[in-house]
Amino acid sequence: MSDETGSGRDTSGRFVKRAAEQVHNLHTPGADGIHPLAKILFGWTHRKGIANIIFWVLGALAVISIVADLAMKRHDYMSFANATGFYGIYGFLCFSFAVVMGWPLGRLLRRDENYYGDAGGPPEGVDPDAPLGGDAPAAHSAAEGDA
Amino acid sequence: MPALLESLNPGWLLILAGVASLFIKMRQVRQVVTVVAPILGVLLLIFSVQNVTHASANVMGLDLILYRVDGLNFLFSLAFLIASLLNAIYALHTDDRIQDGAALAYAGAAVSATLAGDLMTLFVFWEVTAISSVFLILRARTRASYFAAMRYLGVQILSGVLLLNGIAYVLKSRGHLSLEAFTDLSEPGVMFIFLAFGIKAAFPLLHNWLQDAYPKATVVGSVVLSAFTTKLAVYALARMFPGQEHLIWIGATMTVFPVFFAVIENDLRKVLSYSINNQVGFMVCGVGIGTPLAINGVTAHAFADIFFKGLLMMSMGAVLYRTGTVKASELGGLHRSMPWTTVFCIIGAMSISAFPLFSAFVTKSIIISEVASAGYVAIFLMLMFASAGVLEHSGIKIPYYAFFGHDSGIRVKEAPFNMLLAMGVAAFICVFLGLPAITPNFGHGWLYNLLPYREEAIGYSHHHLFSWEHILTQMQLLILAIFAFVVLKRFHIYPPEKKGVILDSDWVYRKAGYGLVSWMGTVWQKAGPAMTAAFFGVTGKAYTWIEAAFSPRGELARGGLNGAMTVWTAVLLGIVLLLSFSAAG
Repeated sequence: MSDETGSGRDTSGRFVKRAAEQVHNLHTPGADGIHPLAKILFGWTHRKGIANIIFWVLGALAVISIVADLAMKRHDYMSFANATGFYGIYGFLCFSFAVVMGWPLGRLLRRDENYYGDAGGPPEGVDPDAPLGGDAPAAHSAAEGDA
Repeated sequence: MPALLESLNPGWLLILAGVASLFIKMRQVRQVVTVVAPILGVLLLIFSVQNVTHASANVMGLDLILYRVDGLNFLFSLAFLIASLLNAIYALHTDDRIQDGAALAYAGAAVSATLAGDLMTLFVFWEVTAISSVFLILRARTRASYFAAMRYLGVQILSGVLLLNGIAYVLKSRGHLSLEAFTDLSEPGVMFIFLAFGIKAAFPLLHNWLQDAYPKATVVGSVVLSAFTTKLAVYALARMFPGQEHLIWIGATMTVFPVFFAVIENDLRKVLSYSINNQVGFMVCGVGIGTPLAINGVTAHAFADIFFKGLLMMSMGAVLYRTGTVKASELGGLHRSMPWTTVFCIIGAMSISAFPLFSAFVTKSIIISEVASAGYVAIFLMLMFASAGVLEHSGIKIPYYAFFGHDSGIRVKEAPFNMLLAMGVAAFICVFLGLPAITPNFGHGWLYNLLPYREEAIGYSHHHLFSWEHILTQMQLLILAIFAFVVLKRFHIYPPEKKGVILDSDWVYRKAGYGLVSWMGTVWQKAGPAMTAAFFGVTGKAYTWIEAAFSPRGELARGGLNGAMTVWTAVLLGIVLLLSFSAAG
């Protein structure tokens, strides 16, 4: 496929320029099934110790945002919201509360997937090659139901 | 513009195109229709003159305003039409006449209802949205989707019946059906209309039709559904109930309670359905505040929401299409094979989380600012909680569990090109709306210029929107909330995604109600024969007793009593005659 002639033709004589070939390669997953663009955009997320780096960078940004707040005179309608770091601390607490409440709520409210009848598979029309769905009609037996 | 085109409601055009699509067998021709109709609709709308009645009719003595554009309904209609175009592009890989036709007719009905100038026209298209949209759930063709569709249709029709009932009362008391805002919920029929709108807006405890039906629709169907019904209800509330204080509390509750459900929900399309509740809550709250700036915030946030929520639904639809599932417990690591979808999903997530330079930053902040300026401390704190909550479920959970997190090992192809194109355009809108107004019609300036109260919007933009104070406080909230996620993950406090169904208020009718009816059926089956036997036993005995007394062979027919009967009858008649004479005298 490579352009050897310098005339814009490939070795088969077709008009496939190297740039087009590169674009094609950029959108063709390798044998490992990984999209080349994924390596460019998100390759950094696979680095060893990236979780630690993200933790410390976010921690540093949090501190910086609160320190910057010290240097700023704010004019919130709510007087308590003018306290330094209010939005950050409130956001941290609210987020944590919502997530931590997931433990008791999950125990209280989670039931088996077929609690209301057979939950069934994906809707019709998913990709026939879908690994977890496949041919939709076959995924739904006659016994499937929903109370 | 020619008079005929001026009077052509863009919504009707879409409905006609939708009905035509049902009969067009050639896929390519149908695809052209589904794409071209919304484009023509947008052109019709933007060239229409505002505050002029373009089409009206008199039906059975009712003056109906069929097509009227003004500052409030213009942006809602425009968003519906653009969403309809994106939906059509998103559906190009499919070949389903019913889905194509229903999607277009549904969008057309939403546009027509928005552009209606009276309550009866609004009601008619209100019902058309219900009937057309149900096919998007049915086309999933699973039994679960069938039952969900029936429940959905029942609830939507109930909304329509309540609306019609309210309209009848209003017509009797007011003598007209114009879209004049209601100020008093105790006015005859108004509560019915309020409840009808509340069902479609998914008020708390009236909300479960949404989480029940949307995640069971087709891949395209849930994207289409996410755009119209709830936002139409928001428009109707903004039109008819601005400043209704109950809405402030209802809206704030709507923003908060879905956060808890979304945290523990495993189905990511259902998480987004809770997210719809959450975002509509902000809008309902803004309607309750009712100031010009708050109504601006409602309109702007509805416009932005249609695209960022649509984008998130599209990305989850692409995942479902390629992998066959959207369950968080089965996904992870998909950025390796779907990088474009990942990027678009992240843009949607940043938009809904209100990061600066993304759409919700310039829309949601107006509502929160108006709540704060009105002095509602508890509501303000609830909305700030919901802002952190939306970051959790839509900003982090959706992209993290689908595309990052634990690698599920699933390797699939990237989403089809048409899906990527629709997501790309939606992502562009999300970013464009969030940009500073370098020129008056650039970035958020474009949106603010189209809001119903333009001057107030421009004033807000100049004084507050991109101030360092606003940017810093918003970034502080987002950074520390994300940091909370990292901390909770690091110390294994974050609950793992587990398979299962989460009980919500629909348990009342899906389990308790269904159980009660089943139990009554069983009881009737068993007790029925015994009760029938007892009934016939009693009636048989009574018959025997009556026959023994009154039949020609009975006691009363014997000679001894005949004379006495005659005497008593004569006495009774005499008393009646005496009473009659005395009364007459």
